[in-house]
Amino acid sequence: MSETRFQRRQVKRPGMIDRAGRTGEMIRVDHAGEYGAVQIYKGQLAVFSRLPHKARIASQLRHMEADEQHHLRAFDRLLMERNVRPTALGPIWTLAGFGLGAATALMGEKAAHACTEAVESVIEGHYGDQVVELEAAGETELAETFDRFREEEVAHKDLAAEEGAKDAFAYPLLSGLIKTGCRIAIKVTEKV
Amino acid sequence: MTQTQDMPPPAEDRSEDSSGAQEERFPRAAAARRALLEAAIPEAAFEGWNEATLARAGEIAGLSPGEIELYCPGGVLDLLETWSRQGDAAARAQIEAEGPPNRIRDKVTRAVMIRLEQYEGEEDAAVRARARLLLPDALDRGARLLWATSDTIWRAIGDTSTDGNFYSKRAILSGVYASTLAIWLDEHDPEKPKTRAFLDRRISNVMQIEKVKAQWRKTTSGLPDLTALAARLRYGPGRRS
Repeated sequence: MSETRFQRRQVKRPGMIDRAGRTGEMIRVDHAGEYGAVQIYKGQLAVFSRLPHKARIASQLRHMEADEQHHLRAFDRLLMERNVRPTALGPIWTLAGFGLGAATALMGEKAAHACTEAVESVIEGHYGDQVVELEAAGETELAETFDRFREEEVAHKDLAAEEGAKDAFAYPLLSGLIKTGCRIAIKVTEKV
Repeated sequence: MTQTQDMPPPAEDRSEDSSGAQEERFPRAAAARRALLEAAIPEAAFEGWNEATLARAGEIAGLSPGEIELYCPGGVLDLLETWSRQGDAAARAQIEAEGPPNRIRDKVTRAVMIRLEQYEGEEDAAVRARARLLLPDALDRGARLLWATSDTIWRAIGDTSTDGNFYSKRAILSGVYASTLAIWLDEHDPEKPKTRAFLDRRISNVMQIEKVKAQWRKTTSGLPDLTALAARLRYGPGRRS
């Protein structure tokens, strides 16, 4: 051991401002998000799909689930192409997503729509932030994909609002809780 | 200012990506580490992986102590990381170039053997490297490298799982690889029959897990669907149409 050994963490090295792992973080959290979204719709469909008098909302949910499946497949591919690891919390998001979907569906059709509206509005802002960040980092192709996904999420949000999401019982409380949950999930999943 | 742009990345930034993309971004640092590694391997076979070996490798490769400090801030462990990731990259290229066998267990077996063969001719240095990575200060690094190797093998044979299986597959293969490496390093027959037999047995163990999982699914498939039950309680069965 010589005395000139530096402590790695004490030496700040220049030229390392761009973080190589940042794009990977974005892909990981978005993959988990789409995964969770699919689970929410699955939970809601588990309640509505076999009730003949709820066929209308079931078909809307099926349509939205198909969109999310499409996004999920795109992120599956990105994870593989870019050697990014998926979130380790997948099993937790499976349970949480399905549980949230089933619980809001059991509360009522409007509560189910309120859930969609809350989740998609957080996602919309989240994708919007990422698009700005990706464009700044020169990842224009990825930014375009994310922007397209964002527009589809906005369409889901608008549909849910049209169907009376805001008339749900205790809408502000329900929506606030779900939004906070989503924001926490996003922060955690970026790293884990 | 090419010098500052070509600084080696800090270790925490290298942790995620096992593809070596970081190495391509810093060609000068990568080349310096490769030169150091090449000089160190024959030394380490006798001396082990320590500071003296690193210094000696620097002399042989023509690098000053300052340059060694710059390119290997983590000391000799950085060289072991370079070696392991270099082996991963070479194994991945070879696995992907070969036409892969059909069955999943043959794929894994072949891939593990290819990865082990990257140490061919350098077994003595590899034994010392394994010993060094088992010391307490290298435990996190050793585990990370093992994980990266396991990750490389799964990606090379085209595994695309992105759910919980992603982690269970890598965890299981890490165990298989680490134990097989010990046998491989210990066996002097170039055909490695003992290693192959050992690896086959380990993979049979893993296949047993799949059997139990399938059985579990069969047993639980008959249970009633609680969500659908709750749905009927909440909304009523509705008119049949």
